Amino acid sequence: MSSKRHSVLPAVDRSGPKPPVNFSTSLTISDNAVLQGTHSITMQAETVVHPRSRIESSVGSVLVGRRCIIQERVHLGAPSDNQDKGTGGVSLGDYVLIEAGSIIEAGGTEIGEGSIIQVGSKIGSGAKIGKNCTVSHLSVIANGDVLPDNTVVYSNGTRRTDKRGTPELRKLSIVKQIAMLRKMIPSNPDKFR
Amino acid sequence: MSRRPAKGDYIETDTGNKVSRKAVLVGTQNIMLGGKTVIQPEVMIRGDLVRTAQAQPPSGGSAAPPNTTAVAIGRYCFLARTVLLRPPGRIYKGVFTYMPLRIGDHVFIGQGTVVQAASIGNHVYIGKGCVINEFAIIKDYVKVLDGTIVPANMVIPSFSIVAGKPGRVVGELPDGAHDEFELRDLYKTVGNNPQPAAA
Repeated sequence: MSSKRHSVLPAVDRSGPKPPVNFSTSLTISDNAVLQGTHSITMQAETVVHPRSRIESSVGSVLVGRRCIIQERVHLGAPSDNQDKGTGGVSLGDYVLIEAGSIIEAGGTEIGEGSIIQVGSKIGSGAKIGKNCTVSHLSVIANGDVLPDNTVVYSNGTRRTDKRGTPELRKLSIVKQIAMLRKMIPSNPDKFR
Repeated sequence: MSRRPAKGDYIETDTGNKVSRKAVLVGTQNIMLGGKTVIQPEVMIRGDLVRTAQAQPPSGGSAAPPNTTAVAIGRYCFLARTVLLRPPGRIYKGVFTYMPLRIGDHVFIGQGTVVQAASIGNHVYIGKGCVINEFAIIKDYVKVLDGTIVPANMVIPSFSIVAGKPGRVVGELPDGAHDEFELRDLYKTVGNNPQPAAA
């Protein structure tokens, strides 16, 4: 057995159509991300996409704003089992952080600027998340639900308004995180073109 | 058997680690496994998120080679399916940096759990579907029940039982309950030549 083991990641399932993409030149996207679907996928400046995240545009187009972070195992634009789902895809504002394992369903779903979706949450089809919201870990937002700006969802769906007024600090922290991730994650946007 | 054995589902290393071929280990050079650790399919470990800000070397000492371990796991740990280990990150001296994630010996982590703790002690049981947040510190002999969300920066003392969203200490382990943390038998039940569980 050789002493140096160079492990290769198991192959990712890349079946399905390759979507038309519209990438900013300053995008950082791991070549282990999965992009699928037929509608367009747009990613704006300085966004970071971690390995093994899945972005699907089979229901509608996907728009990711500036300086967003999409972590591993996120499924953006998942098809919804909701029958009367709205048309359209997913749209993320600027400075949106989507943490590991979250599922964002397609169908006119919108997430406002500066919001954080924490680990393992599920955002239903057509939900509208306002600006600077926090959806804490393992929360489920129902289909078509509307969260006003600065809402915090925690502990099995309890809600309150964030009155700390620190969205600027939060953005600063995302900017710093992106500055480091851009050096750390090998980017290969050409693979998806 | 005369034929060479077929390629198994697990890679068994010299030190007895059993790593599923379907596990996703990113940045393997920064992941340390202590030996006899089981990594089941679809586990993901983010070894690529290494510390970038280095601690100041002790005064007078020469600059040591940077320590790039992102995830360190002890002996007889068991990572069930779809577990995600990712080092915790925070802003340190004005720049964002990831910090190492350390896991002790005999640690069981249940299905679908996401761990971003700073350190987990020895003989810890973490149930299914938990989230252990950034810089949480779990000491020895702790039981985290299924579906718990351990908040960021929480320190869980030894011999605690933790549950809830957000997680709170809900009880204390009784004196006789230490044996169930022993993972040697569980280790034998997986791999390419699994042994039946001891009765």
